Amino acid sequence: MASSRTRNKTKLIVDSIHGDIHLTPIEQRVVDTASFQRLRHLRQLGMAQATYPNATHTRFAHSLGVLGIMEHVTRVAKAALSLKRTEVEDIRLAGLLHDVGHYPYSHLMEKVDKVELAEEFVASARVLPADITKYPDHEALGELIVTQQRDVIKALGGRKRAEEIAALFTRKTTANPQLSKLIHSSLDMDRLDYLLRDSRAAGVPYGQIDLNYLLNNLQASPSGVLGVSEKTITAVDHYLLARFFMHRGVYYHKTTFGLEEACRQLLRRVRDAGMFGIPLDGNAVAALVTGPALGRFTDAFVDAIVERAAVDGDAVMKALANSIRRRRPPKLLKEVTVLARNDTRAHDGIVFKNNCKHQLKSLADAHGVPLGRFLVCETRPLTLEERGALLTEDEARSLGPEDREEIIKVFIAGKDEPVSVVSIPHSIVHICSNHFFQAFRLYFVSGDGDDELVERLRAEVRGW
Amino acid sequence: MDRQQIGLKLALDQLGLPARLSSFDDRLVLQKGVYLAQAAGVDLGYFFHWYLRGPYSPSLTRDAFAMVNDIKGGLDGSEGWQFDETSVQRLANLKPLIREAQPPQLAARLELLASVLFLLLNKRCHPDDNAGLREVLLRYGKQFTQEEIDDAVGKLRQYGLVADQK
Repeated sequence: MASSRTRNKTKLIVDSIHGDIHLTPIEQRVVDTASFQRLRHLRQLGMAQATYPNATHTRFAHSLGVLGIMEHVTRVAKAALSLKRTEVEDIRLAGLLHDVGHYPYSHLMEKVDKVELAEEFVASARVLPADITKYPDHEALGELIVTQQRDVIKALGGRKRAEEIAALFTRKTTANPQLSKLIHSSLDMDRLDYLLRDSRAAGVPYGQIDLNYLLNNLQASPSGVLGVSEKTITAVDHYLLARFFMHRGVYYHKTTFGLEEACRQLLRRVRDAGMFGIPLDGNAVAALVTGPALGRFTDAFVDAIVERAAVDGDAVMKALANSIRRRRPPKLLKEVTVLARNDTRAHDGIVFKNNCKHQLKSLADAHGVPLGRFLVCETRPLTLEERGALLTEDEARSLGPEDREEIIKVFIAGKDEPVSVVSIPHSIVHICSNHFFQAFRLYFVSGDGDDELVERLRAEVRGW
Repeated sequence: MDRQQIGLKLALDQLGLPARLSSFDDRLVLQKGVYLAQAAGVDLGYFFHWYLRGPYSPSLTRDAFAMVNDIKGGLDGSEGWQFDETSVQRLANLKPLIREAQPPQLAARLELLASVLFLLLNKRCHPDDNAGLREVLLRYGKQFTQEEIDDAVGKLRQYGLVADQK
């Protein structure tokens, strides 16, 4: 990614995915803030570089890529909806800033509150504290950064403008409804960029979608909903399948997922123990990102915790930390993958989880290893369409407008408003949309000389 | 079920709300009930923004589907879990407000309470200006009467979700 200045004073950035991306002066000021430059130090794919060595690209490059796609979107929308210059500027800025609130290692640290430790998983009575604030999601942090970090406020021209931009990517009440709909409806600009970028960086072909064809056939309806023309249905199916394959092959890769789960569990343990300067709750995270320490809230922040845990943590923390820092991924003892209709009442994944729940403690005791070295985890149910696949037919009929709006829309000949891709009978997603994929995994965090133990454990859980 | 989904299931159980997504009303009740629970101080980790039917959290939608799928498959990961005492008490305090209406009125009632609360907490309206509140709700396509809004504000005050004015 190189940059230069064009004759009309816009900044030109050459991106490896989209080619030339033009930054307006205000976008350039935003990009130059310390708050935005922090994104250079957040890896887009968390720990995927442990599996795919070139997957070291950053949230910074991705954010600029989304801006690049926004150029196409706003060109279509401007013509169809008579958008004003400032409205186009707002949409572009919202795209540029949509990921500014990401945590270190992207989604990894954000999910700490979701982590269930093995000793909790097998216990019969447990207390879940809900009187402390959870870590906010990255959209909420993004809003805090945009509306409270002085450098961003100044770059955007004042607090009011900053609040308007944040309202767009968080869909607040104050957002211009038409612009908000444009940003969130139908084709997801975020996905369009990350599939291509992640695929290229990882060196796998699964995410190579037909971006230009989709963008060249983008249309806006009279009510402001974006969609693509029906002739692109192959490209739409390909796009949705690409997302599916990227998740299976890259995002949920057993090695990456195991290392990330080890890190999530380590952070959860460190947080619960109040050690090594990790934010103790959501309020502490909010204070961190709105203060002068924001620039330090990068991947290096987590790396430092891992380093300290490897030296000063308890035995389980040390095992987890060493697994990460020495790239000794947790060993996969057993994986059960499920690809089934969403109304499947019982499947092998649930049987496996039940077996883990009832037998893991005995297994750990029998081999004299702490339960904390076992990682019981599962991927998020993955569907071809984010919403569609999780629905039974009855549920699909009851789908609220909130969810309907996020499903990809296709313009059918003779109709002004686009319809959901799920409803088009000759689309693949129509056939497959009521299926989900999920992987259920049991890992063991091994140490030096544990190879035989790992094989014994594998043999014992084979029938689970 | 991950830990956040376990918290979700516990909160629904304690509020007497169904962990079910078979109708649009079910989805509305779940979204608005969780919003009110969080406003009452039980942090379940969901970030709400305003959408067509009031406060809405996409990540809650995803978690709710995962939770319901697990339960359908016979695995209720929340078994054996309970909230801390403070959160149990907060949910117990909130429950009568939630249960004032029964289906089929429940969804509309929770939509009203959650929407009014969201507008007040996000400072889109002044808590002493119920007429202004109605105007904003109308602007968002919500046809609640002034009486319903007055009652909702009163109840939110009574349950400590909106501070009393001095």
